[in-house]
Amino acid sequence: MLRLDQISKTYRTTEVETSALSEVSIEVGAGEFVAVMGPSGCGKSTLLNIVGMLDSPTDGAYWFFGQDVAGYSEAKLNRLRRDNIGFVFQSFNLIDDLTVAENVEVALIYRSGSGGARKQKVADALERVGIAHRARHRPQQLSGGQQQRVAVARALVSAPKLILADEPTGNLDTANGEAVMGLLAGAADAGATVVMVTHSLAHAAAAHRTIRLLDGRVVSETLLGS
Amino acid sequence: MLRNYLATALRNLARNKLYAAITVLGLSLGFAAALLIALFVRDEFSYDRFIPGHRDTYLVTLRMKTPTTAWSDASDTEVWTAPLLKAQFPEIQDAARLTKAYFPPLVQRGLVKIGEQQFMWADPNIFRVLPVPVLAGDLQTALDTPDGLVLTRAMARKYFGADAPLGATLLVDGHPMRVTAVIRDLPSNTHLIGDFFGSGLAAFSVLKQSEQINGVGDYSHNTWTYVRLKSGVSPAAIEQRLPDFLAQRMPIQPGLESTIGKVSQSLHLLPLADIHLWPSNQGAMKPGGDRQVIAAIALVGVLIVGIAAINFVTLMTARANRRAVEVGVRKAMGARRSDLIVQFLGEAMLYVLLSTVVAVALAELLLPPANGLLQRTMSFNYLGDPSLAGPIVGVALIVGLLAGIYPAFILSGFRPAAVLKGGRSAAGGSPWVRQGLVVVQFAVLVGLIIVTTTVARQTYFALNDSLRVDKSQVLLAFVSPCTDNFRNRVLALPGVKSAACASAFALNFTESIDALKVGDHSADIDGAGVDFGFFEVFGVKPLAGRLFQQTRSTDDLHADLSATTSIVLNESGARKLGFATPQAAIGQIAYWHGPVRMAHTNNPDEPTEIIGVVPDFSFSGPRAGIHPSFYYVGPKEASISIALAAKLDGRRIPETLAGIDRIWADVGDGNPMIKAFVDQLMLLRLIDSLIQGVVIAICAGLALFIACLGLFALSAYTAEQRTKEIGVRKAMGAGTGDILRLLVWQFTKPVLWANLIAWPIGWWVMDRWLSGFAYHVDLNPLTFVFAGTAAVLIAWVTVVGQAFLVARSKPVAALRYE
Repeated sequence: MLRLDQISKTYRTTEVETSALSEVSIEVGAGEFVAVMGPSGCGKSTLLNIVGMLDSPTDGAYWFFGQDVAGYSEAKLNRLRRDNIGFVFQSFNLIDDLTVAENVEVALIYRSGSGGARKQKVADALERVGIAHRARHRPQQLSGGQQQRVAVARALVSAPKLILADEPTGNLDTANGEAVMGLLAGAADAGATVVMVTHSLAHAAAAHRTIRLLDGRVVSETLLGS
Repeated sequence: MLRNYLATALRNLARNKLYAAITVLGLSLGFAAALLIALFVRDEFSYDRFIPGHRDTYLVTLRMKTPTTAWSDASDTEVWTAPLLKAQFPEIQDAARLTKAYFPPLVQRGLVKIGEQQFMWADPNIFRVLPVPVLAGDLQTALDTPDGLVLTRAMARKYFGADAPLGATLLVDGHPMRVTAVIRDLPSNTHLIGDFFGSGLAAFSVLKQSEQINGVGDYSHNTWTYVRLKSGVSPAAIEQRLPDFLAQRMPIQPGLESTIGKVSQSLHLLPLADIHLWPSNQGAMKPGGDRQVIAAIALVGVLIVGIAAINFVTLMTARANRRAVEVGVRKAMGARRSDLIVQFLGEAMLYVLLSTVVAVALAELLLPPANGLLQRTMSFNYLGDPSLAGPIVGVALIVGLLAGIYPAFILSGFRPAAVLKGGRSAAGGSPWVRQGLVVVQFAVLVGLIIVTTTVARQTYFALNDSLRVDKSQVLLAFVSPCTDNFRNRVLALPGVKSAACASAFALNFTESIDALKVGDHSADIDGAGVDFGFFEVFGVKPLAGRLFQQTRSTDDLHADLSATTSIVLNESGARKLGFATPQAAIGQIAYWHGPVRMAHTNNPDEPTEIIGVVPDFSFSGPRAGIHPSFYYVGPKEASISIALAAKLDGRRIPETLAGIDRIWADVGDGNPMIKAFVDQLMLLRLIDSLIQGVVIAICAGLALFIACLGLFALSAYTAEQRTKEIGVRKAMGAGTGDILRLLVWQFTKPVLWANLIAWPIGWWVMDRWLSGFAYHVDLNPLTFVFAGTAAVLIAWVTVVGQAFLVARSKPVAALRYE
């Protein structure tokens, strides 16, 4: 489904050059659940941003469904992102001024489709994550676990082919973390490709494969059960 | 999508009430001020357009010069101009005249007797040429009889307590006149004045008397001449034949030209709607407008809106990081940059729309006091007047677009990768742009303070020092004529230090240009009749020679017409006659030609001795300048000796005024006497300048308030942004004073930079404005220092409160904040 080929990412200022990723090559198949692990500052989030087309690599190729998107314009990346990728963030990143239902709907309003169809999809997504009863609440009225469910619902509502989760359980307690992991695993079972950055070995165990990064490079890949 | 945007915008507004209120308040005040200024500008350009057929109606104006004067333009012409034009030009459908007595006629009903300033004498066909709105009666025939009288509604109510007292009678200077029509009160946006219009057919009317006294070509201009052209006729077709008309039908009398020299003159047709903004005020019924002043006030309106818009931009961009996560999420969800630009521009438009509604309400509320200040009757019918509603909406949209586009670009430009990981991010947009906008705001503010201060100084100078006389406690009692008996009895009152009669020429109400010749040097000089003691009343001391003395008969023109009488020159007059110093003029003989001299001696070439030279002084105000003048003790005739000037000791003013009233009741002609202190008179003469100064001061105050609103919000936000830094500094040992200095200095820098921009521009603008006055204050560098210092102090006062709160907070609270 996606393949990174010698991807490097360097951040440059007038005085400092920081290499966040260095010649990283990985491949993720359709329907795979991949966990990415490593110490802080190893480039996990940078990798996820590039996979999610939120950032562009400095060097290398990124093949997404057979297209090398590394040199694509922002407009083209935007279309690919909108049509194929859902995001779950560590700090939830819900919009405070919108209700739960409206937050989930944000994933649909930039696509074509009628208001009625959108509402139905939002209702289904909220039902799926068990937060439908809070549809009219604002994020600040929810607990952390509930907010992350909303974020997962937002990631799932458009039925994306790829779900990127950046430490989705990092700000949650054990129980809530388990619940969110259950939702992501469920999405993977349903056929979505999931790439998840995590610090938790326990949660990484839910993935089919774990990729470890260190200082911007891939140091190991472990298959489930091995 | 739009519903989502609207929900976000409205809830964001509700959640940030303080900043939303500051933004809306600033924009509303700016828009409201701009609205009122726009109404004023529109009013200035709307004069006389209410008169039907105004496009075919013209005021006949006169352009003239003599060998010793420059070209000048006047609104008034000779009394015979209208009938001669009508006879000569078939293209003229109708021509009519208006004139006004120098002294207000006494209008009486029963025991009520009032000198009415705004009494006009008119040709019977005046309302065919100027068809003002009528309330009762037939204006076409109202003045066809000699006793015909047309009133305004206000006068009808004043004298009769009714709106349409047709057929009722008023005595005008003792003559019965019949009310034949009532018109609506003239609006403020007309060059016309007039509460009463009396038929010029009346034998005692000024119009009839002018016809009897003045011949064609006698250079006596005291009549306003209006012509209405036939439909489709171009004024150019008439104007090109006016030089021949003047030369053949209205040449200057030869005897007059031998006195004052060859006169060059031309007649012109000034469209009715252009009268108000015509540059010349000579002979005008009331002071006209000034295009430069209108442009300046309009510019101030634009600047105020600019300041409010800058507030909006700086606040939106400074607080942009609060929307960073939302932007990142929306982009992650697939929003294009254009989608976000539309969203944030829409939010800007929402603020602008809200502000416009509030501004319209504010403008409606403030219109009555604005009308009071400007002495106007402006209206604000935005619903019924598309020419008003359209521009309001249009300007609001443009301002919203221009002010909203930069924040929209900044907000939509956030990179999702940078903002979605969590933690705070910096304020949006370049801090240099924000600082630059604050610099611009305060540059405008400093400029307005400079303008306001300079205008105030010049106004004070105009009211006080520019006259160059001691006018304190000097009362003018307008009586015609002012006699020796009246003067002497007033002088005997305990509260009166000195008193003297004065002519209209001496008080600069009008001018009479005579010719003086010394040796080979001949010059046109203003001649002014005064009384013994006139100069002493105003504290004027001679620079050379002496003043008039009652003991010397040659000092009195009327006493011995065969003798060589005396005159006193002013400095400018002495220079114009070629004297190198005032002393050089003393004892010299000047030969005096002039209408006054001729009226009393029939000898156009009388020798007069220059007995003294006085400093230049004037009662006209600084714009008119001081003309070369000579003074003589003239006859106390009704048309010349028009007022008593009395210097009071200031201790018993009510008793003294009552005493003067008693004396007048005893020696006067039974008619009321108008009294005014010279201070009050000058105030009236300079009322337009005063109003302009007040308007500019109000605008400056408003701009200041709006800028401070923005600065307050920006400082509050900046202090919040720097909470962690402040916590760290305090943990490292910084005291409250250190933190205060840090925060206050951040907002002092742009204000200091603003002075560098405002000072040179302010200097150039004020230098040009002051050069329009014949006498003016100097541009004092302290004015600029004051403006800059005031701006800095204002900025400090605005930000110190917020800064103090943050500076005093505990470090742990700040560090835990992160």
